[in-house]
Amino acid sequence: MSPCDFNRRQFLKYTGAAGAATMAATFSMDDVAQAASVTPLPVGTPILVIVTLYGGNDGLNTVVPYLDPAYLSNRPGMSLDASQVLPPLGSGSDNVVLALNGTMTGFQSLWTANKLAIVLGTSYPNPNLSHFSSMAIWQTGSPVEEISSGWIGRYLDGLPHDPFRAIGIDSTLTPLLAGNRRVGSMVPVSGLQAPWEPLGTQLKHFAKSSHQDTALVADAAGSIADFYALSSTLTPVLKNAPPASASPLAQQLDAVANMITANVPTRVYSVSLSGFDTHADELSQQNALVGQLSDAITAFLTQVGTTPRADDVVVMVYSEFGRRVEANGGHGTDHGTSAPVFVAGNRVAGGFYGEQPSLTQLVQGDLVVHVDFRDVYASMLEDVLGTDAGKILNNWSTKVNNLIKPVA
Amino acid sequence: MTAASDRLELSRLVHRFGLGPKPGEYLQLLAGGIPQARAKVLARRFDPGLNALVTPPFPNMGPAPSDPTAGLAYWKEVGAQSLSVGVWWMDRMVLADYPFIERMTWFWHGHWATSITKVSYALPMKIQNETLRTHALGNFVDMSRAMVKDGALIYWLDGPENVAYSPNENLGREFMELFTLGVGNYSQTDVHQAALGFTGYDVDMTSGAVTFDPKMHDNSAVSVLGKRQVFHAVSLSDWIVSRPENAKFIARRLWFRFISTTVEPPASLAKVFEQRDISLLINAIARNPAMRRPQYSQAKSPVEWFVSASRALRVTPSKLPESAALAWLLFSMGQFPFNPPSVGGWPSDEAWLTAAAIPYRVNLANVLVQNGDLAPLTSVPKAKIVQAAADWLGVAQWSTRTERALNQAVSDPKQLALLALNAPEYLVNA
Repeated sequence: MSPCDFNRRQFLKYTGAAGAATMAATFSMDDVAQAASVTPLPVGTPILVIVTLYGGNDGLNTVVPYLDPAYLSNRPGMSLDASQVLPPLGSGSDNVVLALNGTMTGFQSLWTANKLAIVLGTSYPNPNLSHFSSMAIWQTGSPVEEISSGWIGRYLDGLPHDPFRAIGIDSTLTPLLAGNRRVGSMVPVSGLQAPWEPLGTQLKHFAKSSHQDTALVADAAGSIADFYALSSTLTPVLKNAPPASASPLAQQLDAVANMITANVPTRVYSVSLSGFDTHADELSQQNALVGQLSDAITAFLTQVGTTPRADDVVVMVYSEFGRRVEANGGHGTDHGTSAPVFVAGNRVAGGFYGEQPSLTQLVQGDLVVHVDFRDVYASMLEDVLGTDAGKILNNWSTKVNNLIKPVA
Repeated sequence: MTAASDRLELSRLVHRFGLGPKPGEYLQLLAGGIPQARAKVLARRFDPGLNALVTPPFPNMGPAPSDPTAGLAYWKEVGAQSLSVGVWWMDRMVLADYPFIERMTWFWHGHWATSITKVSYALPMKIQNETLRTHALGNFVDMSRAMVKDGALIYWLDGPENVAYSPNENLGREFMELFTLGVGNYSQTDVHQAALGFTGYDVDMTSGAVTFDPKMHDNSAVSVLGKRQVFHAVSLSDWIVSRPENAKFIARRLWFRFISTTVEPPASLAKVFEQRDISLLINAIARNPAMRRPQYSQAKSPVEWFVSASRALRVTPSKLPESAALAWLLFSMGQFPFNPPSVGGWPSDEAWLTAAAIPYRVNLANVLVQNGDLAPLTSVPKAKIVQAAADWLGVAQWSTRTERALNQAVSDPKQLALLALNAPEYLVNA
């Protein structure tokens, strides 16, 4: 057991091993209700890790149709040849041979181990080419109607308040985690260190709600309560900061791995990597980014893989859109439509899903859509989080079948 | 004895229509009564507070030098200016004795949200800022005309890529969706046709100067929202802004940021905006009975919180010992001027009340308290210091919870200030 495993420390602190009388004097009923939720996540409970790639990742230079003449002719000077990709994965459709970008050796090993699913041609009807609108569509899970709640936020809405249930590794709120009534907690990669004394103790008094509070003032008090609940649990867990030399995504996933290993009761984690908006000089930049993505996720799954939670974790990777088939004049690509979504983990049935879009039969110069991303979300909601996807995705009723293997 | 509803209304006036009271201002305004206070808060006049404002030069940087050493220095300077222009604006917000115009400019910055992360240079952002200040309380028709020819905005929304033979819909879509009409009040065809009307405008990145190239402009008649003609930026802006949906949309946007993100405005509010007179609209909002009703709380955004705290402590942001660290703390909380996360602007209310923001806010409050003027607290006896803190900060009322917490620090004004700046009643304008 990890020395910073919180389940004993926290559990004793909140559940009264210290004596019910003392506790009554120290904690209000709110605190007790709060504490009840701070129970360790039982091993065997599935956990979803969502990786957002901001900027629009170029699917065609990630899962590469490197032998397709149309790929080569559309991308003079910025196509990858056989020496720049890994051994072929197989064909996505119509015998189009696909191979991973040469930097993605980690993903290649996951694929070989049958732990990596690649959902080809994923987007939604009438893809929107604006970063803002398209990311909003992916994060709200609502391509048709514009709504303000995130799809994981709506998952939280259906459950009692628990600041641990969904955690985003960042300082500011990820729209993905904002529900109509509940909001996931944001935690910086460096953790939530409680303030110095005596401020730390004094500030804690603001955590109690007052009957004089308006709803928002109560939310402000609640954020302080959440802070202390999270901080006391997470500070020991996150005390070993990852090396500063690690990529931003590796640092975030290192924090997630530490929390998972310590049995923090979190079902959904959200992490991200930025910089994919490669309008110019794409090759070096995108190669480096997908390399970081592959390295960070593989290292994360390896780290979790040595623990009893090895089979619990499923990672999903998406971006707001792929990029145009035809390169622009600046050795880059403009905003496009469909792209592969990656799903990885021990419970993932590895292989291709969906269909590789044709590079010659385009819609206004862009790839067609073969899989609606809500199918992938529905698989995550039902087969990882064990909840009714229709309720969260406006009655969406299909999913990517057999993507996630049943719990053994 | 002042009515609690007067304290509440005044707290909202000074925080939402101003940027928080300067020391002594809240009690002074309270003594004069609400009508007089409202007139002072909404006044537009020569601002002696701005005499102390130091504006650093934001020169036209010109093209980057090809020499690597000179190039490094050039980009370092560009980066430094992108921070200092944000600090400069916060200085302005803090120093103003009549901050209404800055508060409105801040609103419009979030409305026409443009980010220096893409624009890169401070000069075009500062020009946009001045344009927004010029029109902040003017007529929306003029503001919109000026903005469709604003270099930073055009560059931000890919205007230079929007040419007749290869239209880019970014500006056309966001103009209708986020700036003038709101989603659902136009079709995809309108977006495409509006994009054609906006073709041909190019931007010089370092100066922000906009040029029009008739050869790159689509000179055919296009049909936007039922009107068919050859459009240019200004005629297109005028036509779209003349739509009745524009009055409703802008009235709702102001109501959303000044009164409530959850309760809809009265239908009559759009009528006030029929002539697109921003001053009339915001004055009507400031006089709405909702201002006195308890349920209309609003959370302060990080910049609003920081500026109001700086005003209370008489701290000029650029004079803080580590203004780079200050910027980093605000970035970590998710908000820094000229850096909205997207063209949709910043989030509101609950989104700011995260556990993750707390350590940064506490550190920032500490920097302010260590460098600030605590006279409003040191000059009062212990027994009255907690109430004095509410009067100083323009808080309508501490809850008993907060009073109890503040009572722990009555013998240490610095500690009391630090706590008060982090109290739920100061993070949220009740």
